Amino acid sequence: MALTDREYQALEDIVGAENISREPAFLDTYNQCWGHKLVFDQKFSTRPAAVVLPGSTEELQAIAKICNKYRILFKPFSSGFEVVSFALANERGILLDLKRMDRIIEIDVKNMHAVVEPYVNIYRLQREAMKHGVTVGSLGAGPSAGVIAGSCCHFGAGTTMTSTGGLGRNVLGVEWVLPTGDVLTMGTAETGAGWFSADGPGPSLRGVLRGRSGANGGHGIITKASVKLYPWYGPPEVKFSEQPGLPASGKTLGEVPQGYKAFMILLPSTEVMFEALLRIGKAEIASCVMATGPAVLPYGEGNDEQWAEIQKMEAAGMVFEDLAFRSIVVLLGSDTSRGLEYREKYLLEIMRQLEGVSLPLTSQQGAVMFAGLMWHFGFVTMAFRRTGDFFVSPTSDGSPDIMLKMRNAAVELIQPYIDKGLVVNTGKVDLFLIPSENSTAGFHEENVTYYDPWDPDSLQAEREIIQKSEDPNGPFKSFGVPHLGGGLTIETVSHNHQRWGPIYDNYDMWLRQIKDMLDPNSVGDWSAYIPGVFP
Amino acid sequence: MQTRTSLEEIVGKNNVLDDPAVLDSYSSDLSFVPKVRPKWVVKPSSTVEVQEVIKWANATSTPLVPVSSGTPRFRGDTIPRTGGAVIVDLSGMKKIMRIDLISRVAMVEAGVTFAELQPELEKAGLSAYMPLCPKGSKSVLASMLEREPITMPAHHWDCSDPFLLGEYIFGTGDKMRSGEASGPETTEEKWKLGNYQMTPMAVSQFDENKLVSGAQGTMGIVTWASLKCRLISKFSRNFLVPSENIEPLLELSYQLLRGRIGDHLFIMNDLNLASLLARDPGEINALRETLPPWVLVVSFEGNGDLPEDKVAWQEADFREMATRSGGLKPASTIHGADADELSQILSRPSDDPYWKLRYKGGCSDIFFLTTLDKTPGFVSAMSGLAQSRRFSPRDIGVYIQPVVQGTSCHCEFNLFHEPANAAEADRVKWLVTEGSVNLANLGAFFSRPYGYWAKVAYSRATETAIMQRKLKKIFDPKDIMNPGQLCF
Amino acid sequence: MALQDFEHDMQRCTRCSYCKWIPYENQQNMDFIKGCPSAARFNFHAYAASGKWNMSYSFLNGRIDYSDAFQDAVYKCLLCGSCDVSCKVIGDLEPLQHMHELRCKFVEDGEILPEHFVTIEGLKKEDNMLLAKKADRGNWAEGIAVKNLSKEKAKVAFRAGCRYSFDQELWPIVRGGLKLLIDAGVDVGIWGSEEVCCGGRAYSIGFAGELTKYAEHNLEALKAAGVETLVTPCADCYQHYKVHYDKIGKKPDVEILHFTEYLHRLIKEGTIKFTKEVPLTVTYHDPCHLGRLAEPWIHWKGKEVKVMGQTICHEPPKKFRRGANGVYDIPREILTSIPGVKLVEMYRTRESAWCCGAGAGVKEAYPDFANWTATERIKEAKSVNAKALVTACGWCRRNFIDAMEAGAEKMEVYDIIELVQKAI
Repeated sequence: MALTDREYQALEDIVGAENISREPAFLDTYNQCWGHKLVFDQKFSTRPAAVVLPGSTEELQAIAKICNKYRILFKPFSSGFEVVSFALANERGILLDLKRMDRIIEIDVKNMHAVVEPYVNIYRLQREAMKHGVTVGSLGAGPSAGVIAGSCCHFGAGTTMTSTGGLGRNVLGVEWVLPTGDVLTMGTAETGAGWFSADGPGPSLRGVLRGRSGANGGHGIITKASVKLYPWYGPPEVKFSEQPGLPASGKTLGEVPQGYKAFMILLPSTEVMFEALLRIGKAEIASCVMATGPAVLPYGEGNDEQWAEIQKMEAAGMVFEDLAFRSIVVLLGSDTSRGLEYREKYLLEIMRQLEGVSLPLTSQQGAVMFAGLMWHFGFVTMAFRRTGDFFVSPTSDGSPDIMLKMRNAAVELIQPYIDKGLVVNTGKVDLFLIPSENSTAGFHEENVTYYDPWDPDSLQAEREIIQKSEDPNGPFKSFGVPHLGGGLTIETVSHNHQRWGPIYDNYDMWLRQIKDMLDPNSVGDWSAYIPGVFP
Repeated sequence: MQTRTSLEEIVGKNNVLDDPAVLDSYSSDLSFVPKVRPKWVVKPSSTVEVQEVIKWANATSTPLVPVSSGTPRFRGDTIPRTGGAVIVDLSGMKKIMRIDLISRVAMVEAGVTFAELQPELEKAGLSAYMPLCPKGSKSVLASMLEREPITMPAHHWDCSDPFLLGEYIFGTGDKMRSGEASGPETTEEKWKLGNYQMTPMAVSQFDENKLVSGAQGTMGIVTWASLKCRLISKFSRNFLVPSENIEPLLELSYQLLRGRIGDHLFIMNDLNLASLLARDPGEINALRETLPPWVLVVSFEGNGDLPEDKVAWQEADFREMATRSGGLKPASTIHGADADELSQILSRPSDDPYWKLRYKGGCSDIFFLTTLDKTPGFVSAMSGLAQSRRFSPRDIGVYIQPVVQGTSCHCEFNLFHEPANAAEADRVKWLVTEGSVNLANLGAFFSRPYGYWAKVAYSRATETAIMQRKLKKIFDPKDIMNPGQLCF
Repeated sequence: MALQDFEHDMQRCTRCSYCKWIPYENQQNMDFIKGCPSAARFNFHAYAASGKWNMSYSFLNGRIDYSDAFQDAVYKCLLCGSCDVSCKVIGDLEPLQHMHELRCKFVEDGEILPEHFVTIEGLKKEDNMLLAKKADRGNWAEGIAVKNLSKEKAKVAFRAGCRYSFDQELWPIVRGGLKLLIDAGVDVGIWGSEEVCCGGRAYSIGFAGELTKYAEHNLEALKAAGVETLVTPCADCYQHYKVHYDKIGKKPDVEILHFTEYLHRLIKEGTIKFTKEVPLTVTYHDPCHLGRLAEPWIHWKGKEVKVMGQTICHEPPKKFRRGANGVYDIPREILTSIPGVKLVEMYRTRESAWCCGAGAGVKEAYPDFANWTATERIKEAKSVNAKALVTACGWCRRNFIDAMEAGAEKMEVYDIIELVQKAI
């Protein structure tokens, strides 16, 4: 299944010898990622036949053409921080590490968009944009997540969704090397008018780029993308405080930056919490608002320190379960003090209506919360440091009321496993819940479990949770096709499209045809997408 | 007549029309698209009927042209491009399926117009996000599918807003409900579960909503859609910001857009503003002489729980921004133009006569996407083009509408002319067709390529055309859906 | 620890790639956010700490064997510890210790780079890492009247280290340092030609035995000389004495100080006073071995326990070395106390400092990579408009000079000792 020398040479001729390898030692650094034990029952996914580091759109086109000629599977990735980045349907596949394509091409402050290459991570773009009073919506995978990966290829949910939207709604332009090796540049970028609209002429081809989730490298390579920018109300630069002996994980901004205010609010119940998110969204006042979720527990310098802090807080009367079940965190921001005052007044009014209690936050706590909400600092720590792995299921986007139903069903499903100590108890079932676009586009919800992939009982528990929540005939069938049909799940393993398509308006029929159309020789790896024909 | 019989069996005998006068009314419109008479007009009244019609069309290889709005029509997208076509007139599908104040969502069938929807929304405490004074017979669904820009850019998150999702019958005859509307339950059953079909994210890894938007009915027929609505305003503070030149207004607009401050936000020239406010040519002429050349229209809608506070702070910020933008002076009235009166006009579809037809009886539009900062160049270019064809720039209305929260703008030129004046019509025709090439060369993006613009747009978007043709083969393999439109 | 002892961590490397960057909390200028020189230069994931986890795990599972590529990725690494700091922002793993253990495994199995083989043979013969003659080791101190610790006792031992002992271009620094102590009236001695390597660089290449051998010798020498405090201007030696000797159970009984630490004391107590202005805008390069790598060793013995269901904790609680407790402030305080000196900081400082490129056998085996790394640092120094780059380690200093000779942008480079001398 490996490449022949001729095939390898053809690829080497494109990128140069220093940018390609088929050394087994190197190849096995491209098939180990979190989540693999869950999906493949071992840390290793399929070993690629080669790893290639292309440096330009032209090189990628040439590579795609070689792959078509020799029928070699290929998959691109940027940060490579997801299961889907490396999964290959078979060993006759190559991985395209886009590390060398890392330019921020343009930040158009006035017209509020930025054009980037694949290896630009979200925090880097945020910091560059902040200098000019703008920023880009956050991504759940944290500061290292690729802008293009999030907006075009994978998922794209984040804490700021109430004010920045997400899930592909921010894409204003794309340059796309198709599986055939042809290039499709969408919208205004194709005509040379600029990078401000990816829609048209006529129907928008963003429709084939991605849906609620992206193709995860299954239909070519996105080599440039233009994304919407949003207002940043803080200073052009921020600096995390330094104290002798304080490791980076303990650093904070010291206080919430000027222009912003942070709140943590306890509500009477989960139902009221949902109502609060809806109302705050509708009030159009928040830069971020979400269920406290991952921010419930202190981060701590390490797990031991976190545990000590949790015990101390519990001894002092903190009930984490309350926070987990029925609290929210809010960031308000404005260019002017009067704008901020209004937003705070409205927030307090909503709290009064819902009998919410604003919890006191020290400067430090507010600062930690700010960095977590604005840039997802701490989220990656919470996802992985505890046990080494996490999963999100059930997950969906929908009307608030049905998302509440899903939440209740999720708790009912997962709580017994928490009670048995098989997955981490973070208060209750951890929850990532955010209103989209000021609650006009529903809620985004992820129910998060932290399991130890190397503990057989914990692994089994997680598999059961996923099996039950992704059963198209089970109690979760009404909440949408499970999480991306290929996002954190691998289609070759889960067969989600085959199982869910028939009960969701046969969407899979269209998706397969789109894939077939884009990729007639089936060289775009479909592990986290869909094949033209199910094997 | 066997095929007609089978069609009648689907929609009912009275809903298959072949009266010449009726057919004539669908064979042309106020655009310059050549006249082509359809074979029949069918008027389905349900999704099932629409689906069966499409299946029938596949079986008989009959082109279909969907129409949802009433007359007058302007774009040419509902004129058949080929003989033997059947018009599928959805204007009879008038169910307002659901209005939800809490979710701020409405669900409407294809034939519901703004004139019908808006009063119902208001009863529920909501208002539609409307394009600029649409004609009364304009289908809400068609407006959204055409990506007509709304007048409130802060609420325009994505190009397709306020469109959320819908039910689609593709050219194959297959039905698909999109996004949250999809799934094992019926639409009504979903409501009971708390699923209000309000999430615009697609079902899976392609976005069916995007594929039907801007498609001019070439991919299929949308039978119903859900849309975002806004809370009705308890009151509003409305302003007109006059300026001799457009540039300071752009500066002010950028500031407002960045902060998502304000609701209605667009720029017009004197002629267009006068046409909106006045009723007949005499009034329009008189009013425009008193108006400044350019006006920025801004409103601050008092809604939600603290409407006065909301409006107060936004207005205060706005005034500071205006000062920073070359000392602009927002006003409630300027020389006979009253902002509050304009606000009332903006809250409903256009009265008759349709505002664009008041000045000269005829109007042809040129519109495209660009960025705000480039609009002065286009204004200048349009004026020059007009003069080169001896069309007076004084008869051109200008409407600049920021879209997608200000990341771009819809730039529109309204060429007012007398329909009976053939020479003038010829000049307008040239400007709208070949003249648009000049604008495209300057960077105008004809994202909604009606009529001649399809040639202009697709000649510059060949990769897109190739891809769209491939998609067409998937969703309409027999090419029965509005063939000849766009690049098909 | 053996390589297998790291299996737990190998399994839990999530491939977040934080190891390639400085911690996001420390990122200031987005042009200077890379932390790992190896990953930055060679691009393949194998060159990052995460890649080492992956290769080790693959090796332990019999999926790969030794190969040139494997060795290349293992040894084109400066063991600078940037990855360790970044990884530990979000994890309780030990990437640096693991990468070192991997080298020990390579050496144990005879997979030794020829350049390293030559260097270590030289070490074994002549007790230094510079392929120089042992007999010449004391030449740097010629003409300086100072106690000979082989024969006499003194409270303070001044240790030059291999680099300073044999690199004549750097002798003004080491001589200057010693003279500062003598002039300050410190009871100080040196071992001269009897000084031997600390064993640290050999250890970093994977020769664990050499560290033990030299640790034992050096601790004996300290004892014999009645020393209370060891002072060295070599950050490398400092780190090995202070941290690695302790790690292998041979913690010195004496106080181990870097020269800047001792100098700081002398300045604070007024023994050294600055009388001249040194009008210079400088930026300070934190040597890895004085900074993040010099954090004291933490011995821990215990077991893994699970709390909150599945969260992995330890009993007793395990403190991880996360790089915050290196020597960062003292050199800066010295610099800012020199009249006329203006200190401007680079963007990657303290525990996030970009390595100079000289460490862990890279300078010996991959001089181009060493030069490239130093060149990147010089670019950063220039970007903050500093006139001079100041450091506190001979290896750093040498590597910056070599890089400039190989084509890097030119700028003045000083050791702190030199600036102090100018101010006296």
